Amino acid sequence: MPRTKELQRLADEELMQLVQDGDPRAFELLYDRHGDAAFSLAYRMVGDRVAAEDITQEAFLSIWRSRERYQRERGSVRTWVLGIVHHRGIDALRRNLVHQRRRASAEGIEERHEAPERTDAEALRRAEAKTVHAALETLPDDQSQVIELAYFGGFTHIQIAEMLAMPVGTVKGRMRLGLEKMRRELAGGVA
Amino acid sequence: MTMEQHERYAENVAAYLLGALTEEEAAEFEAHLAECELCRLDYQRLRVAAEALPRAVEPLEAPDSLRDSLMDTVRAEARPGSVAERRPSFLQRLRDRLGEVSPAVAAVSAAAVLAIGVLGGWGVSELANNGTGEKTYAASTTLPRGSATLTVPEDRSGASLTVRGMPPPGAGRVYEVWLRRGSTYAPAGSLFDVGRNGTGSAAIPGNLRGVDGVAVTRERRGGTLKPTEKPVMTVNLS
Repeated sequence: MPRTKELQRLADEELMQLVQDGDPRAFELLYDRHGDAAFSLAYRMVGDRVAAEDITQEAFLSIWRSRERYQRERGSVRTWVLGIVHHRGIDALRRNLVHQRRRASAEGIEERHEAPERTDAEALRRAEAKTVHAALETLPDDQSQVIELAYFGGFTHIQIAEMLAMPVGTVKGRMRLGLEKMRRELAGGVA
Repeated sequence: MTMEQHERYAENVAAYLLGALTEEEAAEFEAHLAECELCRLDYQRLRVAAEALPRAVEPLEAPDSLRDSLMDTVRAEARPGSVAERRPSFLQRLRDRLGEVSPAVAAVSAAAVLAIGVLGGWGVSELANNGTGEKTYAASTTLPRGSATLTVPEDRSGASLTVRGMPPPGAGRVYEVWLRRGSTYAPAGSLFDVGRNGTGSAAIPGNLRGVDGVAVTRERRGGTLKPTEKPVMTVNLS
């Protein structure tokens, strides 16, 4: 059994192999690496600390219990983890438990605990966040609006069409154009 | 597949990636994705942007209590022979053995070792398994606010059941999952409870080939070998 220090040197994908063998220490390390990002995404979606904690806990428990299902060739562990958190967040929002409380505004509705910049990896992620922000800011308002409502708000394309009083096809078209533009921006303008 | 069929789904790629389709639409789209090369290429191209979105979120620190509570559960489940140890081959063997012993002994054994799914659950691979041929089925239920989906991989090597809006099963009781072949019900090897918000899930280990349906009943804690009430939830697989 590898020691904790040895575990810390492993890449996520290698760590995940140990998680798949049922090693709780490997899982703990995985949580330490991605728990804050998972909680941040959940909080961004529901705007409520308690609900965000529930979503994060449910997501990680489901990751532990369905660990056999992770497939390395489908993408990074971080993307997989955040995909599951997003799915849980949407589920919570659609159950309408937290819709009325979501949208933590820029002013900050609740007490927040910003993640300290502890490691090089976190500094890198903050830089990455700036890049994604910049890509999002290049989108016209009508495209960023539907992306925001869908991805972070958990609304379906039909609900968004009703809210904005426009045809469903227009909503879907804006989603596509927005993602297309973001993709190009993230690729450095390469089509 | 005709171009007309393709075009009907092609406009859903971005909505799917953003999680903006309903569960039924998403399941239908996933089935199309498994067959349509053009949509798969489009999906692969656009997913880069969708997967970048969570990276734009303001980073916050998760509370220590969350980590402690999560790891308490994980460590308990990781113990060899714990109630939540549930590798399919193990459970399959167990279920086979249960068939050979008396109901009373089997019920006690089941109480000791069968899988227990609790709040949060197991079946969350939908996002990760796009285009793999997984099928998601909606359940019929007698519960006014209840709903459930059953996700089955293409090779039917197990399944995952996710429930919502379910009332607690009652003191000393759990929900038990059954596999139906014709009119015969056999224990699926899965017991589950629901959280305060009525959600829960259960892993269904073992091969589902030849299984016509999945059902859920309320049973005494530890489970039983035969259903003692009419199912509160059924999924037809045939």
